Amino acid sequence: MNLKKYLTLTRAGMIEALQFRLSFVIIAVGNVLYLIVVYFLWKSIYASAGTDIVNGMTFSDTLIYLVLATALFNFMEMYTVWEIGRNIQSGKIVLDLLKPIEYRKYLFWSYSGSFVMQFFLTFLPTFLIVAAVTHGTIPLGINLLYFIVSVILAVSINYSIDYIVGTICLYTESIWGINIMKQVIVLLLSGATVPIAFFPEGLKQFVLHLPFQSIYNAPLTILLAKDPAPESVLRTLGTQLFWSLVMMIISKLFWKVSLRRITVNGG
Amino acid sequence: MKKKNLRFYIRIYFKILAQDLKSKMSYRADFIISTIGMILTNVSGFIGFWILFRNFPSINGWSYHEMLFLYGFSLVALTPVQCFFDNNWNLRGNVYSGDFIKYCFRPINLFFYYQSEVFDIKGLGQLAFGLGTLIYAWIKLGLAVTPLMLLKTLVFLLTASLIMIAMQNAAAAACFWIENSFYVLDLAMRFKEYAKYPVTIFSPVFRFIFTFIFPIAFIAYYPSLVILRPDEVPVLSWLSPVIGIVFFYVSYKIWMRGATRYSGTGS
Amino acid sequence: MSAIIEIKNVTKEFKVLNRREGLKGSLRDLFSRDYKTVRAVDNISMTIEQGEIVGYLGPNGAGKSTTIKMMTGVLEPTSGEILIGGVVPYQNRTKNAQEIGVVFGQRSQLWWALPLIESFRILKDIYQITDADYEGMLKLYRSLVDIEPLLHKPVRQMSLGQRTLSDILAAFLHNPKIVFLDEPTIGLDVSMKAKIRTLIHALNREKHTTVILTTHDMGDVDALCQRIVIIDKGKMLYDNDIEHLKGFFGAYRTLKIRVDGDLKAQAEEIGKALPDCAVSADEDWISVLVNEEKQKVMDVLAQLQKTHRIRDMQLEEISTEEVIKKIYEEGVQ
Repeated sequence: MNLKKYLTLTRAGMIEALQFRLSFVIIAVGNVLYLIVVYFLWKSIYASAGTDIVNGMTFSDTLIYLVLATALFNFMEMYTVWEIGRNIQSGKIVLDLLKPIEYRKYLFWSYSGSFVMQFFLTFLPTFLIVAAVTHGTIPLGINLLYFIVSVILAVSINYSIDYIVGTICLYTESIWGINIMKQVIVLLLSGATVPIAFFPEGLKQFVLHLPFQSIYNAPLTILLAKDPAPESVLRTLGTQLFWSLVMMIISKLFWKVSLRRITVNGG
Repeated sequence: MKKKNLRFYIRIYFKILAQDLKSKMSYRADFIISTIGMILTNVSGFIGFWILFRNFPSINGWSYHEMLFLYGFSLVALTPVQCFFDNNWNLRGNVYSGDFIKYCFRPINLFFYYQSEVFDIKGLGQLAFGLGTLIYAWIKLGLAVTPLMLLKTLVFLLTASLIMIAMQNAAAAACFWIENSFYVLDLAMRFKEYAKYPVTIFSPVFRFIFTFIFPIAFIAYYPSLVILRPDEVPVLSWLSPVIGIVFFYVSYKIWMRGATRYSGTGS
Repeated sequence: MSAIIEIKNVTKEFKVLNRREGLKGSLRDLFSRDYKTVRAVDNISMTIEQGEIVGYLGPNGAGKSTTIKMMTGVLEPTSGEILIGGVVPYQNRTKNAQEIGVVFGQRSQLWWALPLIESFRILKDIYQITDADYEGMLKLYRSLVDIEPLLHKPVRQMSLGQRTLSDILAAFLHNPKIVFLDEPTIGLDVSMKAKIRTLIHALNREKHTTVILTTHDMGDVDALCQRIVIIDKGKMLYDNDIEHLKGFFGAYRTLKIRVDGDLKAQAEEIGKALPDCAVSADEDWISVLVNEEKQKVMDVLAQLQKTHRIRDMQLEEISTEEVIKKIYEEGVQ
């Protein structure tokens, strides 16, 4: 694999992201407001509950969990579904398919630039602020390394799901509808809106067997575990790896089959 | 040229609106998928809400049913902005591509003409869902059903709507001044998520900020107090209809100023 | 005749961002920005009478669109004065809009998913066209083009030619005093172009509508315009009738002859013999560009007949296209 041609796409994406300096300010304001709302909401929730620990999570745990879930969401949202959908509608996809890079990779690397920017400009500051505010709740040790590995796997799963949903746009014109469905389902079932620990038992077991929890719940659980047993970390990472491979295969096959359909029908 | 009175504008509105519905009917699959997406959004929002309250019986002195009332109230209040002002979401694209110019050549109010072009029928699903929640909470709370109460509800729902519409107009108009204004609009939309919570959960400083700087508290909290807790209505609640009208007017002026400043990109 | 458009010393400036290059440049742009002022339209004046068809020409980026946007009230001039039918368009946009029609290239202003007749009905209401005027206009349209098959066809299913035709009809529907046409024949086939030119001409004649036409197609200009205005880099280069334009660089005509033997060598020879003419050769012809103010074509022909055995000949007037090209390239002295 010639890495240079991919890194060129990364660099172009970074330059593009930098064109809009005001959007950084706005994103930052939005994130700060979000932090404030989440902080006070859960503070009063825990105050009303009367106990410090609910479902095995303290106030700090919950706060870190939710804030980092949102930071991860912002970081991972690549608008893949929109991009594929729009390219299909405008017919630009034909040009992209002619490029000497596999479309799935082309799209990913085109976005990797804003990925890098998002990481440094939003995820990292949020992480540092939260770590400082909750002083010491995030254990700083080997778990950070596990966390990074887990996030990488999460990015891969998330991208594959986006790609599958984007492929559905080949069959229907409804980009908005499909995208909103995906977003809603992923966010709820991955534990990004309410931590999975709070789910009722039956729902929890169900959700834990779906790929979505590997996107947000898995990395955040690894990050927050005090002294994680190596087996449980391995099990979580193993599950993520499993889903990452499965979703990748599905997304590739689905795309291949769908594309053949297009070529036959003449797009 | 004949004078353009209210009747003229109402007739034009329905004419243009009808064409939008006719166009949408010609994309049936998109319409169905989008509607399902919209319903899913509401359902998942509700599930998150429900999971939360399974764990905590009350938040900051607000009972489950009171919170539910607030939740339903905000959903209903957000319907007009969804139904009648949805074209704001396309504004950036229109300005960016230069297509916006076609709206400038017509001899009618620009803001009116632009907004009349899209009627988002999906919002009706949200209305039904919100009304259902509101009525359920109303009954459970044992609120009286008198003509005065209903009138108050109507007036304060409209107030809340106006404030949300104003925020969205102003946020959408940002695209006339800055590139990539998507984040501004996105931020304004996130506000409506926060509108569901009582402003009393915040510390005094942030209560002030969310009342006067980012007036999120006016979207549902202040207007709904008039019905929900008639014994302890703050002055701000009674003022909210006036504030709503002023906000709407200001946002309209901002929008129009942006549009006249607009110079179109390229030829 | 009365002036419908009066433009006096109009200038329009834009502020544009100077972007730096590369990743480092982008990072620097994040913190400090560098703006420069661009003068898109520079001190332009013109007066246009009711009923004229004026070709508004210039190379890409010359400032044509900017001028039109100012005339339609979308843009405010930085300085100078514009009056459209006695109204300042920027201050009375809606009032001005009632009196103008606009077709902007390939950007359709019709309702995409609807049959044309539905768009017409909405326009009828928006422009408050009376029933009698509306029917009258449709009758006129029927007499000029075959609109029946178009009326009930959704715009998105139309061919580009049909769509352009529909857009032009929609722009004339409320009988405006002025219609601005921006590249109306771009991308169309030869017969559609001819159809559209005939239509514009007929509507101008019937309704005495002023037409401002911007185009890169000199066929449009030759077919429609009595007068042309040329601008480049925001400055007015030319404003006069089209006949005058052809004599602008002198009275040029091209004499083409066919002779035996090697054309290139002979062309060179002829070039030496006729120092006032530009001589060139292609595969079949030797072309001699003659400036009639210096030398008559007949004299040149007579002179050539003495030295060469001419087997065939053609005489070509210089085309509008060539003159315009010359103006774009060299400007006006």
